[in-house]
Amino acid sequence: MDRVKKNMNGSRKNHWSLIPITGILSILIWYFVVWLGDFQAFILPTPQLVWLRFIRSLDDGSLLRHFSVTLGEVMGGLAVGVFTASSLGYLLARSRKLERIMSPYIVASQSVPVVAIAPLLIIWFGPGLTSKVIICSLIVFFPILINTIIGLRSVPEDLYDLMRSLQANRWQIFSLLEVPAALPVLFGGLRIGATLSVIGAVVGEFVGADRGLGFLINVGRGQYDTSLVFVAVFSLVFMALALYGSITLIENKLLKWNMRPEQRILNDT
Amino acid sequence: MLLRNKLLCLLALIFLVACGKVDQSPPIEKDQSIEIRLPMGYIPNIQYAPFYVAVEKGYFSDAGFEIEFDYSFETDGVALVGANELPFAIVSGEQVLLAREQGIPVVYVMAWFQDYPITVISKADAGIEKIEDLAGKTIGIPGPFGASYIGLRALLSEAGILESDVVLESIGFTQVEAIAGGQSEIVVGYINNEPVQLRDQGFDFDLFSISDYVQLPANGIITNEKTISENPDMINKFIEASLLGLAYAIDHPEEAYEISLKFVESLAEQDEVVQKEILALSIEYWKTEKLGFSNIQAWENMQNVLLEIGLISKSLDLEDVFTNQFVE
Repeated sequence: MDRVKKNMNGSRKNHWSLIPITGILSILIWYFVVWLGDFQAFILPTPQLVWLRFIRSLDDGSLLRHFSVTLGEVMGGLAVGVFTASSLGYLLARSRKLERIMSPYIVASQSVPVVAIAPLLIIWFGPGLTSKVIICSLIVFFPILINTIIGLRSVPEDLYDLMRSLQANRWQIFSLLEVPAALPVLFGGLRIGATLSVIGAVVGEFVGADRGLGFLINVGRGQYDTSLVFVAVFSLVFMALALYGSITLIENKLLKWNMRPEQRILNDT
Repeated sequence: MLLRNKLLCLLALIFLVACGKVDQSPPIEKDQSIEIRLPMGYIPNIQYAPFYVAVEKGYFSDAGFEIEFDYSFETDGVALVGANELPFAIVSGEQVLLAREQGIPVVYVMAWFQDYPITVISKADAGIEKIEDLAGKTIGIPGPFGASYIGLRALLSEAGILESDVVLESIGFTQVEAIAGGQSEIVVGYINNEPVQLRDQGFDFDLFSISDYVQLPANGIITNEKTISENPDMINKFIEASLLGLAYAIDHPEEAYEISLKFVESLAEQDEVVQKEILALSIEYWKTEKLGFSNIQAWENMQNVLLEIGLISKSLDLEDVFTNQFVE
């Protein structure tokens, strides 16, 4: 067991050490492309210029201010989207008839580009937080809904029989069987949803906002400050990665029972 | 092997980027005519009638140009001209100062609009009788950037009102809907667009045009320093053709509208009376004794506004920013 643990730790260390190496390599390539193309800063700034702009935005507090606004919208959208999608997903998973009636509309709704209806949402719900949260939740909705249905439908019929033989009531079946069984798939949807939610917030901020990282991109473009655009984009990437990582972390803690033995060993270390 | 392939792909990509940089030659000469892609800064619109007229009447082709209209963002046009990827673009005056602040070598060479076409629109019952009454009010703007924001700041500055004295609400480009839906009582828009639409919908409102209070450089044609030094003849011909189109559209609005129908796909389906009104209003902003000329006072005013807002950090040499040499 110890040897297995040791081997796995070694492989994980290798995996993590690759991240800074590829990061440094990317920055060197970036420098090289700027040098080779002799690009002016408004076309492609050097990593150094972007770094200096990042420090400046951090110093004057503007980056954190815009970052927290977008994060608030993303979290709000994620909460609303997960609640509505998982609730509806539960109903659809329980009723094939309801699914047959609703699914054409749900699938059709996914073909509507959010960027096209975002201006309408701003008109209907105002330019504040509400419209951004709705845009985020619309983007999050579909992956969560589908994963909820798949998760609930994946519960083996034998386990339902077992619960019924133990005289379990409807709530007990839901909380002790269906929810734990659906969680692994639901977390998969949540990970996708979290990254998509970031895109939703930016779409909303592009259309009408005076704060947030999407707004900061607009300002950067409007002032030909490409370094600022890069700072805002990297901040969005960081936010999406942080959300993805946090969800994976929660998933690992909550679903330890569902892991393969070797995964459990890794998680414990 | 896989790593080697990846490295080769990367080198090929870098090579392509480098080639793209070296091989940039903005105007493409084809059958002795020069192909020009012209960034317009907005969607196809009746306001572009002078350029449609110049194409249709053959002013551009007689001057040796084949024009392709490009309806991308204004900022993209500035960046492309600044990078010498394109020779010309149509942009608003403030963009030239903002770009030069960032070291983008663009130069304004022809004033199309003589006055800044931005206006504050207040509902008749909003209680705004003079611009000083805007203090303490909430004003809907597309966002704290672009011509609407800069025009509003210039107007507030004339009235001695600070930005902190008003509440600016970013509503995107939904000014008409915001007024119609009751979300806003006061918005900022283009004088030849939102007011016409609101009037058509039966709304009563008051207008406070920025041009009544302060002169600012508005939409016009830009080029870059390299084109000015290497190909002034091409600029002369292009400006001459544009001015011919502008003059013809001013003198023949009915015909300009008919010509525009061929270039603006949805124009025929829109209310003809409204569209002709937009054209007539625009023409009022184009008219002047010397078509195409820029006024240095307007540029100084704009520079002062941008300095006050903090969008530029230092005074720029206005001789680098605009020139009238191609319209004389």
